[in-house]
Amino acid sequence: MLSRVLILLSIFLGLVLITQNSLRADSEFAGSEVCKDCHEAYYNKLMKSVHGKKAVPGNPENREGCESCHGPGAQHVEKGGGRGVAIFVFSRKESFTARDSKCLTCHEDMRGVVNWNLSMHKTAGISCDMCHSIHMAKEQKDLLKEREPTLCFSCHKNIRAQTNKQSHHPINEAFVGRQALKCSSCHNPMGTSNIKAMIRADSVNDLCYKCHAEKRGPYAFEHPPVPENCLHCHEIHGSNHSRLLTRKVPLLCQSCHNDGGHPGNPYTNLHSFPGPATSGKNRFFGRSCLNCHGNIHGSSLSEFFVR
Amino acid sequence: MKIKIIVFALIIGLVPFSSAFSQDKTIEGEVSLEAILVDVDGKEGGKAKFTEYRDLREDGGFYGRARLNLDTDKYFLNFNAGDFGYDTQYYKIHGGMWGKFKFDLFYNEVPHNIAFDARTPFMGAGSDTLTGTPNTNFPAWNTFDYSVERRQYGGGLKIDIIKPFFVDVSFHREEREGIKPTGAAQTSPGGVAFELPEPVDYVTNNLKVEAGYAKKPFFLSLGYIRSDFNNSNTSLNLPANFNAPNALSLPPDNTYQKGAFKGAVRLPFNSRFSTNIGFSKGESDTSIVSLISSGYRGKVDTQNYDISLTSNPVRFLDAKAYYKFYKRNNKSDDPLGVANAFLDYRIGTVGGDLGLKLPLNFYLSGGYKYIKTKRHKKGETDPVEILPFNTDNMYFGNLKWSGLEFLDVRVGYEKFDRDANYQTFESEANPAKRYYYAAQNKDTYKAIVDIFPLENLNFGLEYRYKQIDYSDTTFGLGKDKRQEIGTSADYIIGKIAKVYGYGDFGWIRFNQLQSSGAGLPWEADQRERSWGYGVGTEVYVIPKKLMLIFQHDYLKSNGYVDYTLNAGLFGAGGLPAFPAANNENIDIPRWDDYTLYCFKIKAVYNFTESLAASIGYAYERFRYSDAQLDGYNFAPLGPPNSNAASLTGAYKDQSYNANLVFGGVTYRF
Repeated sequence: MLSRVLILLSIFLGLVLITQNSLRADSEFAGSEVCKDCHEAYYNKLMKSVHGKKAVPGNPENREGCESCHGPGAQHVEKGGGRGVAIFVFSRKESFTARDSKCLTCHEDMRGVVNWNLSMHKTAGISCDMCHSIHMAKEQKDLLKEREPTLCFSCHKNIRAQTNKQSHHPINEAFVGRQALKCSSCHNPMGTSNIKAMIRADSVNDLCYKCHAEKRGPYAFEHPPVPENCLHCHEIHGSNHSRLLTRKVPLLCQSCHNDGGHPGNPYTNLHSFPGPATSGKNRFFGRSCLNCHGNIHGSSLSEFFVR
Repeated sequence: MKIKIIVFALIIGLVPFSSAFSQDKTIEGEVSLEAILVDVDGKEGGKAKFTEYRDLREDGGFYGRARLNLDTDKYFLNFNAGDFGYDTQYYKIHGGMWGKFKFDLFYNEVPHNIAFDARTPFMGAGSDTLTGTPNTNFPAWNTFDYSVERRQYGGGLKIDIIKPFFVDVSFHREEREGIKPTGAAQTSPGGVAFELPEPVDYVTNNLKVEAGYAKKPFFLSLGYIRSDFNNSNTSLNLPANFNAPNALSLPPDNTYQKGAFKGAVRLPFNSRFSTNIGFSKGESDTSIVSLISSGYRGKVDTQNYDISLTSNPVRFLDAKAYYKFYKRNNKSDDPLGVANAFLDYRIGTVGGDLGLKLPLNFYLSGGYKYIKTKRHKKGETDPVEILPFNTDNMYFGNLKWSGLEFLDVRVGYEKFDRDANYQTFESEANPAKRYYYAAQNKDTYKAIVDIFPLENLNFGLEYRYKQIDYSDTTFGLGKDKRQEIGTSADYIIGKIAKVYGYGDFGWIRFNQLQSSGAGLPWEADQRERSWGYGVGTEVYVIPKKLMLIFQHDYLKSNGYVDYTLNAGLFGAGGLPAFPAANNENIDIPRWDDYTLYCFKIKAVYNFTESLAASIGYAYERFRYSDAQLDGYNFAPLGPPNSNAASLTGAYKDQSYNANLVFGGVTYRF
């Protein structure tokens, strides 16, 4: 029995040694200057970017240059080059985990990337190189392949459609060199502990209050859905209805308020400005319920939010 | 003041570089000046909508822009600014020492225009006191603009020089000024509806400090956030014709503080444990005398605990398990003699996700989440209003296939089941259920195809379907169904041209059954259809010299509400208060209907590598129609009729046509 174990162990160790030797044989670095001979444009872009700065500890420039990410390239050179020939390239031929692992070797403990393991993008099989480009970035900050929101909308088409709607946050309003709001103002695509939506806060309301501090209260009179979740009433990426409402008032309010008296009554086309109805009009036209209930997010004076 | 801040920011920003740029340096940048002639054909609401988030002045103006990037082996400095002197002006300096520290200083403005030349019978719009007597002679009313301007400035510093330790400090201040629409009932509650101009004069100061340690296998950080919100106006004092209290309370001053700990540690088998713990404390400080005298002071604490364990033990498996607990505790002092209720809630979430690489280039991901929500309305005495607890079960699965070099196909499904556990017999027996607490079944399906047959040709198609059934709801929102289709394509033809386009279609349907005040049922079936497309091209007519850009976008949305009322609600004295009313003539055909049509054509000519000039024309047409705003009347029925209102024109007449002619020069160096 012992002899069999020893034989198996020997075979195993032998295989390991052979593999190691063959890896060593394969693991010769060509050097960045050699890469530059054929890939000058890529090399120059790299040197101009943050990855080309020697002052940054751990940067490719302080390691094996191009081969820090692409792996040893001597064989690639020997074989005359070619895309993916004896060299690691960030293409679909490599698994997304293999591509990610190249970046995470250095970036895993960076502040912005520390939650990548929690990211829904990772769960969905999205790799770093799908959004970032080391050599051909259009946005130098974060080396993005495209500027936001174009980059995000290339996958999130439904969000693009929502942000085009008539009531929206200023996400698409591209001022000359600046956007008022970016997707990344609210979301961290690298993952947050708020796993599904990857928002930059512990809760939806905590996120909204960062810009809408006046809604934070606390108010003496609370409208219960408000402190629980802004999304009960607001469609945050865009809506056909003013103030980003999920549905139009009064039907939005009536979704919950079915009480006797005016909240429960139907307000139809007959109650519009030119309509012939003579009662219940002031609950339909203009801003409808909000004509009176102006403090719907909370009040210091009225349980009905009319003061 | 603004100029001083900007000059100060520039000086501070440039100080670290005074000696740095004696080394080999790269300086590049550009300055440009663009003249824009603007002609807007529309009423005041349309002019406001056209400039909702921008400052394009009628008759035009000159818009400047500057960008400067300095880069050495050790230092960098980027300066970016534009729209000088306009309500959209921005200035940003971002610089630092590679690998050692980074800083940024910024100043931004952004407007939000809602309606110009709104009207009120009162004097003092924009101040905290409205005076005068309501009347119906609206042509003689006082005018003002519904517009809010945000000014944000601040800066931050990220220090890495003491790696693996780090320190991040940032401060930003936001000043918001303007007028937004609000409303109040003349009597409280009920009576004539008065739309009113609410003064906005807010200042919020935000400080954020985070320090930590980041070196494999650990990441540890401690953070502190403080945000102080100050409103210059305590209340909007209303004229004497309003019943007591004849003031509308405005957002109270508040302070928010949060302490947080974040940690992560790498474990064997390519695993990682992460945690995020946060405690916050919010306090509001009302200046309403009656509220102070009743002993009220607002205090809310929140707690958040997250822990998660992720693992990639083998290359084909990605696993994640997590637990999250979030608690809001409203500890406000209960005002004596005031019927109010404070909301407490706690949400516990536990879940797990799994990603599995399968043979034949399939990738399967899925997960399960269990959420328990408990709510408590302190001070609530009505058993019908006691809020239920919720138990949610959510499952999702996605399958991705990347078997071909030029194709990705993804399908996904998500199931969300919510149970509502009512805490009193009365609340459970109540047929009216509030949709965000009520039991629901939600199914979401999606299918996505991305095709890229050539390196320079991409095509994407996405379809989503979502359906929510509020199964236990008799009265209230009952059904919510949505379909969305999105497409996009782009094609790059060598270095000569780029062609791109997109198309979106969305369909939403809500159904709600209601009970009228008279106890008779009625139903509203709300439908929205939206679609839009965009096409564009960039063509180098003369390579590297003359480029033509064309862009066209179209967007349309139609809404409709189909009402079905119980027969008892019609007839003389019936709710529509129109004897000839029937189920055929009460539907609302215009429900936030709008069409946006725009196109832009632009030519850019590069005289040299450094100098370019551009000229172009853009056209925008927006048509908006809505039953609540069409045929607008500032004083419908006229006070003192109990169904009367006094309106100001918020969101009125949003349609517009706009022609823009623009041209400019850019110098790059």
